[in-house]
Amino acid sequence: MFRGAIAIFWRDLLVLRRSLLSELLAVIAYPLTLYLAFGIGLRGYIADVDGVPYALFIAPGLISMTAVSAAFNDSAWSVWFHRRVQRTIEEYRVTPITVYDIVIGKIFSGFAQGTIKGFAVALVIFILTPFRFPPAHLLAYLPFIFLGSMIFSCVGTICGTMIDKPENIGRVEAVVIVPLIFMSGIFFPLSSYPKEAFAVISLFPTTAIFEGARQALLNGRVAQLSVGILLATAVIAFAASALTFNRKMSE
Amino acid sequence: MTYALEIDGLSKVYGTMRAVDTFSLRVQRGTIFGLLGPNGAGKTTLIRMLTTLLRPSAGSARIEGHDILSSARTVRSMIGVVPQDNNLDRYLTCRENLVLHARMYAMASAEYNRRIDELLELIGLTNRQHDFPDTFSGGMQRRLVVARALVHQPRILFLDEPTTGLDPQSRRAVWNYVQSLTPQMTIFLTTHYMDEADTLCDRIVIMDHGRALVDGTAAELKERLAHAHMYELEFSSDGERYEKLLRELPFVRNLQRTGNSFRLALTGEEFLKPLMDRIGGDDIRKICLKEPSLEDVFIELTGKEVRE
Ligand SMILES: Nc1ncnc2c1ncn2[C@@H]1O[C@H](COP(=O)(O)OP(=O)(O)OP(=O)(O)O)[C@@H](O)[C@H]1O
Ligand SMILES: [Mg+2]
Repeated sequence: MFRGAIAIFWRDLLVLRRSLLSELLAVIAYPLTLYLAFGIGLRGYIADVDGVPYALFIAPGLISMTAVSAAFNDSAWSVWFHRRVQRTIEEYRVTPITVYDIVIGKIFSGFAQGTIKGFAVALVIFILTPFRFPPAHLLAYLPFIFLGSMIFSCVGTICGTMIDKPENIGRVEAVVIVPLIFMSGIFFPLSSYPKEAFAVISLFPTTAIFEGARQALLNGRVAQLSVGILLATAVIAFAASALTFNRKMSE
Repeated sequence: MTYALEIDGLSKVYGTMRAVDTFSLRVQRGTIFGLLGPNGAGKTTLIRMLTTLLRPSAGSARIEGHDILSSARTVRSMIGVVPQDNNLDRYLTCRENLVLHARMYAMASAEYNRRIDELLELIGLTNRQHDFPDTFSGGMQRRLVVARALVHQPRILFLDEPTTGLDPQSRRAVWNYVQSLTPQMTIFLTTHYMDEADTLCDRIVIMDHGRALVDGTAAELKERLAHAHMYELEFSSDGERYEKLLRELPFVRNLQRTGNSFRLALTGEEFLKPLMDRIGGDDIRKICLKEPSLEDVFIELTGKEVRE
């Protein structure tokens, strides 16, 4: 059962291990720049948000953003690359494993990448920042980084499955993923939105990730509604990606 | 049951194009079967259907008695596939490529390590097993793909143009190797090379436009052209001009030219004299009657030259 998924996951971790250091460096650079520019550079201009120092306020969002972007990117490009460039998916498909093995293996790889990279950023921010989260808060944060990476890995898998032209994957990321992430309150409290917009935006799964992450890391509180929204989204995203991939493969 | 492969009216339609058109075939166990055809004949499409990668538009096929649609997984556990284009994982080393394949078949590590050592030795890549395929020559990559298809010891091996792009020496190495796999294994291969089909295959089908045109051993196929009168002509110069001239003669068929020499078929013996009259004797270096080759059969059937 799932031996194919395990084999594919094993392959991806093997490849990741070889390039981990350089990848981590590349992936940490961006959130770290944002952190330094906004958290430290603007320190004198932005007052505390709801009593929380601004640098601390944005930290959970930056960690989560790294995790979910990495999960999306890894899944989307990996599925696309193995399908269109290396055609290794065809090699997988002439063995007795199922298409579900392939899609599950790929989703878990994306999920693992997201989680590992998110934690790497967390580590660096913790080292740099004068503020400390109580370690117990990290525990409350786990469901958000896990579910967030899972959802974005599924969405990435769908993109890598349906999109044939590589530039279109970049476009989806620029037009859908990035705005979704930035609108969900990484850099500002959601209460800045007008009332009507707030009602809509608070239903976004991304909002659940970022708000939930902040609540968890700053207050050690697990927002149950957010976890509920994320669980439901993860189930739907997983089913959708498995279905999409299966349909693409039987074309 | 003695058939490794039974195909009944298999078709694949793309829009209005019938890439494979009600194709039927039986392949005996332990034999090397060769599918010949020009570009676009439908060879790869047929193999993709048989290896469960592509859903047929109509028809059915069984591999070792298992239906390719209803028992796809069982079928996949029995086949080895060498696709037309190498699909190695360039982020994995030579050996890791083989290990990943073995893991897909749930082989135990003691078992697959032994098998992989054996195969690496056989394809002469033992010393390069920890290198990445990108650093390999085309021939080495091809051998690796073949080895990968054999890790799990399939009952039937599909090879889509296994030697295209290889030098004569590597081709011969692949042939020898493929030959050594029978009769424990059944081989299904496609090729453009007549000599390959001639030396290697117990049985040959020539296909074009998705359909089988002839079926038989190399000798039988040549026999079909025994009635044809194949001649070889060599001129001392003016190949260009003679080609034009020969093409205009209604009784000359299957004209092939290499420099100043030609190979052609006459529609009847009685046309030898008119031929000589037309070309005159000035530039002729040589003219002789030839045994038909498999290539002649191919050109006769597919008219490949005409379409190019
Ligand atoms: N996905 C597709 N969509 C539309 N037409 C296709 C598709 N795949 C193959 N064809 C067409 O089907 C025909 C058969 O193609 P196929 O690849 O099977 O030929 P082949 O015999 O393997 O040729 P070659 O010797 O060049 O490899 C071609 O005319 C090709 O254009
Ligand atoms: Mg082909």
